[in-house]
Order: sequence, then C-alpha cells, then structure tokens
Amino acid sequence: MSGRSLTGLSPWGRRLVAAGCLVWCLITVFPLYWVVVTAFKTPPGVVGGPTYLPFIDFTPTLQPFIDLVQGIRGEFFRTFLNSTIVGISAAAIATAIGAMAAYALVRFEFKVRFGAGLIFFLLALGGYLLFNNTLGFTRPQALLLAFPIALVAAIVANRLSLPGPILGNEDILFWFVSQRMFPPIVTAFALYLLYSEIGRLGFQLIDSYVGLTLCYVAFSLPIVVWLMRDFFEAVPIEVEEAAMVDNVPSWRIFLGIVVPMSMNGLLATFMITLAFVWNEFLFALFLTNSRWQTLPILVAGQNSQRGDEWWATSAAALVAIVPMMIMAGLLSRMMRSGLLLGAIK
Amino acid sequence: MMRNDPIKHVFIWPAVLVVLAISIFPLIYSFTTSFLSYRLIPPIPPRVVWFGNYLSLLQEPRFWNAIFTTTLIAFIAVGLQYTIGFGVALALNARVPGERLFRVALLLPMLLAPVAVALVARMIFNPTMGPLNQLLAKFGLVNLPFLTNGHWALACIIAVEVWQWTPFVVLMMLAGLQTLPEDVYEAAELENASAWQQFWGITFPMLLPISAAVVFIRLIESYKIMDTVFVMTGGGPGVDTETLTLFAYQEGFKKFNLGYTSALSFLFLIAITIIGVTYLALLRPHLEKRR
Repeated sequence: MSGRSLTGLSPWGRRLVAAGCLVWCLITVFPLYWVVVTAFKTPPGVVGGPTYLPFIDFTPTLQPFIDLVQGIRGEFFRTFLNSTIVGISAAAIATAIGAMAAYALVRFEFKVRFGAGLIFFLLALGGYLLFNNTLGFTRPQALLLAFPIALVAAIVANRLSLPGPILGNEDILFWFVSQRMFPPIVTAFALYLLYSEIGRLGFQLIDSYVGLTLCYVAFSLPIVVWLMRDFFEAVPIEVEEAAMVDNVPSWRIFLGIVVPMSMNGLLATFMITLAFVWNEFLFALFLTNSRWQTLPILVAGQNSQRGDEWWATSAAALVAIVPMMIMAGLLSRMMRSGLLLGAIK
Repeated sequence: MMRNDPIKHVFIWPAVLVVLAISIFPLIYSFTTSFLSYRLIPPIPPRVVWFGNYLSLLQEPRFWNAIFTTTLIAFIAVGLQYTIGFGVALALNARVPGERLFRVALLLPMLLAPVAVALVARMIFNPTMGPLNQLLAKFGLVNLPFLTNGHWALACIIAVEVWQWTPFVVLMMLAGLQTLPEDVYEAAELENASAWQQFWGITFPMLLPISAAVVFIRLIESYKIMDTVFVMTGGGPGVDTETLTLFAYQEGFKKFNLGYTSALSFLFLIAITIIGVTYLALLRPHLEKRR
C-alpha cells in the first residue's frame, strides 16, 4: 500500500480533497435517493414540485408498488421472473463453461495454426454462399451445413504442417476477449435475422427462453474467461502437481481441487455476469417481444406509454435497481479482499 | 507449467462453440446481407447490390451526424470519467477521511441498469418538477430546456454517462495505485519532492499502462451507447442526439431495411477497429518508453 500521494499536502489541502470527495459522493447518491422517495409519493406529491423528505414534505404511500404488482402497467411480475430465470441460468452456464475454458487456457498448451483459422473462415463463408445461392438451400440451412464442414476441415488442417504463424494460448484468449469489442448491434441485428429465419423452419428462437439464454451466454463469455483466468493463475500449482503425481485425472483435479480453491472468484464472476445480463437492453429489445420480455424493456416502456407518471416510473426503476444494489453491497465486501486486483493485470 | 492432456479439448470446446455459433454465425450472415438490397416492409426480395448500401450510407448526412454525436459523447464522457475517477482514486488511496463510507457508494452506479438510470435522469432533469431546476432557480436561472434543446440534451447524456461509469475508473485506478512500490516515494520524499512533483514524476507515469487500458475499455464501450439515449431523448430533438446504435435500430426495426442496417453495422465495426488500432498505435511509444 502506498498511501502517500496526499501526505505532502497541507491540512487545508487535505480538507479540500475530502470535501471534493464528499461532493462526488453526494452526486453519486442523490439520484438514488430521489428514485426511492419518488416511488413512495402520491400523484399530488409529485406534481406540486420537488419534495424531499417523507412525512414532512409529503405523505408516503405504497400505491405505486401495489399498482405494479397488480400488473396495471404491464405484466410486471412475469417480466421480473423472466429476468431472474434468464439472468441466473445464463450467468451460471456462462460461468461454468467460461471457467472451464479459462482453466484450459491457463494450464494446457494450445496451438492453432493461423492457416487453419483462415480455412475455417473461408470455408464457412464460401460454403454458405455455395449452399445458399447455387444449390438453393434456405439461409439457415446453408449456414448449418457450411459450419460443421468448415469446422472439421479446420481441425484436420490444424494437424497438417501448414506454413504461416502458429497461435498460442495468449492469442486464443485475445480472440475470446475481442468478442467484447464488437458493437453488439452487429450481432444483435444479425442474430435477429438468423433467429427469425430459423423460426420459419419451425424452431422458435425469437422470444424464447433458449434463444435469449444462448445469446446471453455467448455475450458474457469474454468477461468470464478474462476474469477467471486471473483467479486460476493465482491457484498454487504445487497442489495440482501433487495430485498429478498420484495420477488423478485432470477433470478431477479441476472439479475437486481448483474449483473449490477459487470459489470466491467464481462467485464474483457469477455476480458480475448476472449484473450484465440483468441490465442488458439491446439484445432483449431485439430478441423478445411479449412472452420473454425482460425488466429493462418494461422499465424503458414506462417512459413512452405514460410520460409523466413518475411515481409509477420510479417504482419500476426501483425494482430493477434493488437487486443490483444488494449485489453491489456483496461485491464491495469482496472487493476489500483484493479481489479486483487480479483483473487489471 | 503447461500440461498436455487430450481432455483439454473437453474444457475449451463448449465455450468456443457457443462463441462461434452466436458471434461468428451471425457475423457471416450479416456480412453477406450487407451486399444485398433487402427489405421486409414493404417486402422486396433480396437483390445483390455489392457496395450500394455502403455508398448510400456514406452519402447519408444522418449517418455522419450519428458518428459525430457518438464520438462527441464518447470522448467528452471518457475524458471527464478519467479525470474525476483518477482524482477520486488518489484521494481514496491516501485515506481521505470518510473513505469507508465512500467505498460502498463506489460500486453502485455501474451495476445499475442504464435504462433505469436514464429514467431517473429524466426525472431529475425535468424542467418544471425536477429538483435540479429548483436548485438552479435559487441561483437565478429558470427552467433550462435540459432535454428539449439539442446541446443541453447532449450535455445531459454525457453527465449521465459520467455518473454511471466514473466508478469503474475509480475502481481500476485504485487497484493500480495499490500495486505501486513504496520505496520510490520514500526516495522522492528524501529529495523533498512536492506532492505535485511526486504525482507527475512517479504516480502518473507508473500508472500509464493501466490508464491506457481503462480509457481504451471505456472508449470502446461508450461507442456502443444506446440504452441511455433511447430512454432519455430517443435520439431527439430531431436527430441531435442520435448515436450509431440508435440509428441502426431505427433503420432496422422501424423500416426493416435489412441490407442497409447490416452495412451500417459493418461500417460501425470498421470504425471501432480503426479507433482501437489508432489509439494503441499512438500510445505504444509512450508505454514502451516507460518499461
């Protein structure tokens, strides 16, 4: 710890800095306070101008929440349930398979030939165009045919001694993380097209649990792999080596030793992923319409339908926010134990 | 130590397959669509136009406006986030009084749904019933058109971005500050270096790699901004606050102009890549000098 940057300051300087922090803290907290008090106001309490203190400025009421639960402003309960189900399952699946991939990248050696990757891409694109344009398959059929062929060809090509650079673990990691750099609109819109065409073949993915969860798993994987890699690197290698001497298979080393030892990291990663999925707006906007609508879409809808009913708007916003406030409390406790130190290396 | 065990494939393939299926599938799909003229409403059968979509986009003033708006929001917001965030991190690291209370409030904004944050912002910026205007009225300013005037609306969106994402900068910079070696500061103190000199001479250069990463992440993320704008202004008044993602959404979901939207999203991808590569290239000499 180097707590030195302020030691050179005079007492007055220190006070000034502390005041600055306090101001920023107030700016951070005030909007949250505002949404909490507004959610308990009656319509007259809002329209009459800003009021700040319950029981003094205005009489608090639970009416906005009662309206919300009764579903007067959209199917609130169901939407909340949707968000919870999709959020928890997507975060759990993403954490599980992302952690596996991160572990593999930390402990095993991978070699991918650049040529093999190129072959995959060219075959996938070319095969798709061939099946779709020349042979007259529908677009999803063409994709579903072209991809396995490209994948198998790439795996075979990887065994041959192709010229060109060989990519290692770091490059694979970069490939994972770079998925986050994409503007999501590229994926979201294309996913909408793909899902709707697959839907025409009889397998509904738009506005379905599978479609939405799958999309969120893929969307969260880069973060999971990035975070979990650091946690696994922190696990002492000696324990694993001792187990290997005893001929314990790798999957049992992973499940029996590594996972329990990095439980904190897994939990934190799960919570961060859950927060991302819970708040996600764009994919939900594209991929759902009624049955599997999530909370952010409902909250955004409060705005356009009922312009100035702030008490209702606040109540909805509050319900969307509260689970994440609890999460922030839990995470900030974990943060103190140097949790996020690893993530920036 | 690296092992080599066939089971490694079992570990890595599920994740690779999901990413291939959900990210690369659609990418190829929309890449081919971007060369088609293809509309759902009114239905026009797909027709190959090669670079037609791209060319008409590049001639579209609304597209350039969206690029300009997004760039403006991203650069100003990230600049402010970095400045405020670094300052707060320094103060917290120096054990400013009340540091504990502050740490709890620290994580909150970045975990909240941007949609909900934008709704709250709408209330606070409301000209007649919002608390902000009441506060300003005390200083003699009355009813500023926060969300109905183009410039003000842009400023409000930037303010909300700064509010929500400065904590991220604080968090990362704080973690970085805690890795700095103590002895360098002790040496500097022996030479009577002032706090300011210590900051410019030691702290700032040593944190340059982390700063670069933080700014990079925030810049890329800011370019994707959509939820906040969607709820706060819907891109209005007119198209004054329309960002790239919102423009794509309007074209894709209001007009169902599929080829055009695909081309737009690819131009967006190219723009992000150019910004990213330029940024890294500009920064590289500075980072390597310090090593």
